Amino acid sequence: MATVAYEETRADGAAPSIPAAPTRSGSVVVKWITSTDHKTIGYMYLITSFIFFIIGGVMALLIRAELFEPGMQVVQSAEQYNQLFTMHGTIMLLLFATPLFAGFANVITPLQIGAPDVAFPRLNMFAYWLYLFGGLIASAGFFTPQGAASFGWFAYAPLSNAVYSPGVGGNLWVFGLALGGFGTILGAVNFITTIVTMRAPGMTMFRMPIFTWNILVTSMLVLLAFPPLASALFALGSDRVLHSQVFNPDNGGAVLWQHLFWFFGHPEVYIIALPFFGIVSEIFPVFSRKPLFGYHGLVYATIAIAALSVTVWAHHMYVTGAVLLPFFAFMTMLIAVPTGVKFFNWIGTMWRGKLSFETPMLWSLGFIITFLFGGLTGVILSSPPLDFAVSDSYFVVAHFHYVVFGTVVFAMFAGFYFWWPKFTGKMLNERWGKIHFWLLFIGFHTTFLIQHWLGASGMPRRYVDYLPEDGFTWMNQVSTVGAVILALSTLPFLWNVYITAKRAPKVTVDDPWGYGNSLEWATSCPPPRHNFTSIPRIRSERPAFDLHHPEAAARDHHAHHGTDSDHAPVDPAPSASKES
Amino acid sequence: MRLESNVFWIPSVFFFVAATAYGIFTGWNEWVGLTCILLSGGMFIMVGIYFKMLEKRHGVRPEDNEVADISELSGEQGVYAPWSWWPLVMAAGAALAFVAMAVGWWIMVPAAVVGVVGTVGWVFEFSTGRHAH
Repeated sequence: MATVAYEETRADGAAPSIPAAPTRSGSVVVKWITSTDHKTIGYMYLITSFIFFIIGGVMALLIRAELFEPGMQVVQSAEQYNQLFTMHGTIMLLLFATPLFAGFANVITPLQIGAPDVAFPRLNMFAYWLYLFGGLIASAGFFTPQGAASFGWFAYAPLSNAVYSPGVGGNLWVFGLALGGFGTILGAVNFITTIVTMRAPGMTMFRMPIFTWNILVTSMLVLLAFPPLASALFALGSDRVLHSQVFNPDNGGAVLWQHLFWFFGHPEVYIIALPFFGIVSEIFPVFSRKPLFGYHGLVYATIAIAALSVTVWAHHMYVTGAVLLPFFAFMTMLIAVPTGVKFFNWIGTMWRGKLSFETPMLWSLGFIITFLFGGLTGVILSSPPLDFAVSDSYFVVAHFHYVVFGTVVFAMFAGFYFWWPKFTGKMLNERWGKIHFWLLFIGFHTTFLIQHWLGASGMPRRYVDYLPEDGFTWMNQVSTVGAVILALSTLPFLWNVYITAKRAPKVTVDDPWGYGNSLEWATSCPPPRHNFTSIPRIRSERPAFDLHHPEAAARDHHAHHGTDSDHAPVDPAPSASKES
Repeated sequence: MRLESNVFWIPSVFFFVAATAYGIFTGWNEWVGLTCILLSGGMFIMVGIYFKMLEKRHGVRPEDNEVADISELSGEQGVYAPWSWWPLVMAAGAALAFVAMAVGWWIMVPAAVVGVVGTVGWVFEFSTGRHAH
């Protein structure tokens, strides 16, 4: 089982491949469900969460179809509508976005730090099964007579108790999410241990790729956020099943639930944002042909966001009148500072770079635009007087879809297109990728931009119906048309995956993009069972780039050390005259 | 290990400061959030101190050394399960237990059986017997 690292110089720069063990036909299923390979487990996370993404997306389409015009045409009762938006939120947040982080972290992190696997391979698989079973249990409410949970994904007490929301669907929701939450916690422990103990020699903390840094910080946030959620869910479950009185409003239980839930809920937003910031931070330098601008700044900004995230939870509770408004408003606005640092660094990375617009870069730019909108409305909402006016309106819906869709979905597709050759050994088709991007980009902004005005003119969220006299009809129709375009954009992607698997040529080089920085680009596509047959020497935060472009590495070294260097003198800019 | 420790204990200091500020501004009346922040700080400082202890015990590891060579960590990397059925069995036991809480307590019986089988299987998967190597 030992992976012996050795250094070897090869003329073509490609890692020698280890022939795969012979497999019996039909053994693939057994191989996957008993796997302890971090890459296989990561693919299972990615596939499962993408399936949940499609299920949650279909629910969103039903919601949008219902809102197309006044009256109830699609759902049979308001209760069904409540179940739809509750499960849409639950699935998208906890069964799609959060495990998607675990998926990317699993596949990429050990590769980026030069490790043969994660620290606890069996625990890793255990965490995946907890997520899958927890997700199935939480969604199983749809197959019960009273239907799934219908108290909104944040399950405010006392609405979520057994009196106002009877039925086994709510119980399944509570305990399914608790089970899945334990999977997330175990996964986070695994990632932290892996990053702390399994880095390759020379891979100091400040040479880790930003993606790995963000996985570390995200995992720390998981350790902060998910235990309060687990305790809150168990208390809610005990209220529902054993008739305890933890969240009885007579004892202040209503606000107690909100505090506990949002102490989880706000860090959760960063849990599903930071890994995706990490993905685009990997992509911008590659397609700008420049090193990342402000590496240390990005690391500190990430840690600052994580630290501040535990002091902002009650900005979800302004309208309760039970929280300290100035404190939370100030802390929330403060978070805009490190986030702004990140924007500054991403733009600085692209500034005067040699940009090229392959699909991963397109998606990253889509991310930066969309997330900027969401961030700006976030500053608006952090101000209590403004929040009072639009709280629980479609303005808020628009805001968090810009934030969450902007980060999770745009950066997810950026990561898919970027790492697909590393996952499968084949490049996704660029033309279909661009069709996919533009359809999704136009569809998304058509759906959600209008919702800002919809909310500002008074449409509340979570209402199944509205009156023709409200004047919301045309705006809802624009939004629904956008949602259809958005949903259709998935078809080119699935087609792209299919034709790539069928027809695309094998990638034969380690780094098909040509300017990859981190260690995953220094092993074959896809990597062998324990990731590396050889690891290059690590002397900077971009070892794969140094390996494939030694002339640039030598120039950088010369620029840093000048004549103090014991190396032979190098031409500081051999082609400067041609380039400028 | 120094940086790993810093990443944990420096935020914990921030949490303690933030908890104090929050307590003062709320007049120590809102104890849910206060407890949460303090416990977060406690957890982080615990990890930070543990990493400091590891730093003392192990010194500078090759991965903390800027000029280390890959060969410095060559050799055995530890035991890694090549594959395992037990995570699936144990998770099935856990899932049954959670379904039992949601649906009916009688499911706890099969949950306990599957869970115990899974745990024992997991723990003894690579056991070759007492004192054996």
